[in-house]
Amino acid sequence: MQKSSTLLDLAIKYGFLALMAGLIIFFGITAEGFLSPFSAVFILQSVAITGILALGVTATLVVDGFDLSIGAVATSALMLSAYVMVVWEMSAFWAVALSLAMGAAVGAVNGMMIVKFKVPDLLATLGMMFLLLGAQRIPTEGRSVSTGMALPDGTIANGTFSDTFLMLGRYRIADLVPLSVVFLIAAAILIWAFLELTRHGRLMYAIGSNAQAASLAGTNVNRYKILAYMISGTMASLGGILLSARLGRGDVASGNNLLLDAVAAALIGFAVLGAGKPNAFGTAIGALFVGILLQGLTMLNAPYYTQDFIKGAVLVVALVFTFALSGRTGRAKA
Amino acid sequence: MISRRVFTSLLGAAAMLPTVGFAADMPAPFDNAGDVKIALVRYLSTGDFFQAYLSGVEKQAEAIGVDLRVFDSRQDAALQADMVDQAIALGVDGIIIQHGLTESMQAAAQRAVDAGIKVVAFDVNVENDAIPQVEQSDRDLARLALEAAVEDNGTEWVAGYVYVPGIAPLDRRDETWVEVKAANPGINEVAMFGTLDNPIANSVANQARAVLSANPNITVMFAPYDEFAKGVKIAVDEAGMTDQVSIYSADVSTADIAAMREPGSAWKATAATNPAVVGEVSVRTLAMLLAGEDPGHNVIVPPTLITQSMLNELDISNMEELGAKLPAFAHADVAVPEWMPLPAR
Repeated sequence: MQKSSTLLDLAIKYGFLALMAGLIIFFGITAEGFLSPFSAVFILQSVAITGILALGVTATLVVDGFDLSIGAVATSALMLSAYVMVVWEMSAFWAVALSLAMGAAVGAVNGMMIVKFKVPDLLATLGMMFLLLGAQRIPTEGRSVSTGMALPDGTIANGTFSDTFLMLGRYRIADLVPLSVVFLIAAAILIWAFLELTRHGRLMYAIGSNAQAASLAGTNVNRYKILAYMISGTMASLGGILLSARLGRGDVASGNNLLLDAVAAALIGFAVLGAGKPNAFGTAIGALFVGILLQGLTMLNAPYYTQDFIKGAVLVVALVFTFALSGRTGRAKA
Repeated sequence: MISRRVFTSLLGAAAMLPTVGFAADMPAPFDNAGDVKIALVRYLSTGDFFQAYLSGVEKQAEAIGVDLRVFDSRQDAALQADMVDQAIALGVDGIIIQHGLTESMQAAAQRAVDAGIKVVAFDVNVENDAIPQVEQSDRDLARLALEAAVEDNGTEWVAGYVYVPGIAPLDRRDETWVEVKAANPGINEVAMFGTLDNPIANSVANQARAVLSANPNITVMFAPYDEFAKGVKIAVDEAGMTDQVSIYSADVSTADIAAMREPGSAWKATAATNPAVVGEVSVRTLAMLLAGEDPGHNVIVPPTLITQSMLNELDISNMEELGAKLPAFAHADVAVPEWMPLPAR
């Protein structure tokens, strides 16, 4: 048994990484300019925001939950940070602090609804998604926030995006590595270390595989679930802040694509290294994988619908990988 | 330009006069304008464009003195058709249909016409000879922007083009791009990309970054929708190619003006129709119908070219100033019979 399954084990464990290496070689040959440090940085930057959201959603997946509101939280943070600076004319610090606090608070409310009021996770976060989509538009009557905009009461907003804030999305270390990429890497390491190395992280995995058993073993299940949603909300608002700094305006947007891309990255992450479970390293690789694909395809002039198609195909393959193959040996959940 | 300006200021001055002065001069049924009820039935409403459109409708309705009801279906095609029936039941005299799907609105519009109600449609083809179509000319938008590109860059350049097929206004803008390319063989389109993934500017920026690194010789980006242009500008700035690339687009908003006026901005020009003006024209067209006049079947609101240098010279920083300092943008001389009161500016 041990011997005959070695090849399969290898395929499960390293198949995805091998596929990614193959992709890089393929694009390196076919797309001129793909194998340059600039290109690598572009890819990281293009996945930074969805990657950060995906890391948040990973935390909720770990406790066997799900957060549908991350896209809406991100766009709410985008609007809020713009509103704080442009309308209230406050500093970058407050824009960041209030947005992060908003994200954490939304996460806490999500968690409370789920553990205290027993609302199923998908429904609670779906409700929150709609609530935020509406709420973020009320202060501006559905318009985007930008300097010089007319407010509902007829006055003109004179605040500007502070340079410090814009740096979050635009500054590049040594003229190459954008700050958003640094945030992604830092977030990935933090979430990974928290989930894999601390007792709290292991307890969260325990809750995810069997909440009742974890509870009987003395874990405060509710507290950890709420914590997971708070991590998710905070990560999503961090993504929204970076988006705001990159766009330089508070754009009215649904954020649904952010949600879908982030969830796709987290699910692809299940398959990386044959983990068969949500994990931060896999999520980061999953986001990177999608980023490499899209960057390469765009460089080859592939239209957007083929990109959606290929994104979907990758996700389907990754899920089959996870649930069919890893299920034989791993601890994949049904 | 001068005559247009004089004309507009005259109109502006005229509109300052009390509306009562006009009431006597307006043809029936506007001699009792307060008794005239009109309905605006909307399909799309969120976003800067639709907000401005609504404000134009409200201002013109106020100037004439009619009673305006707004129905907002929020992208629900079936609900929008029901709302037309609601308006019929309410006994309105006129209906403006703003956007929607031909399939769902055609029958509803016909029911309104059968009930003796005058109907005007904006940016939705309801396939009805009795219903005038108000349109912003997408072909003219693209033509103006591309003329500016040719004027600035000559007829030989390497171009990147942002386009998502299947969206009616973008398809119409694309027709002009195809024509211009055919007429100028020196224009070499090396990349076509685009996406409507939300937030659009961010997704397009990611694509544009890839395109620019694959084609570092691009000098002109044609992005005929302002969200596209915003995304391309982000990518151009990030790639440090601001000096080399020029962006030409369509549509405008306060935020776009700020982006175009950033020092050294690559966004050189945009062609736009003022959505508020389109709203005003929609109401005026309906008013003409109600007064028994013929506005014509296709009422086209002409666009204006807005260049970076224009914005800088006139020191324009938002849409209000754009309207105030660029009179061509503040008013379209469309559907303006002599008796028509215009909104005060």
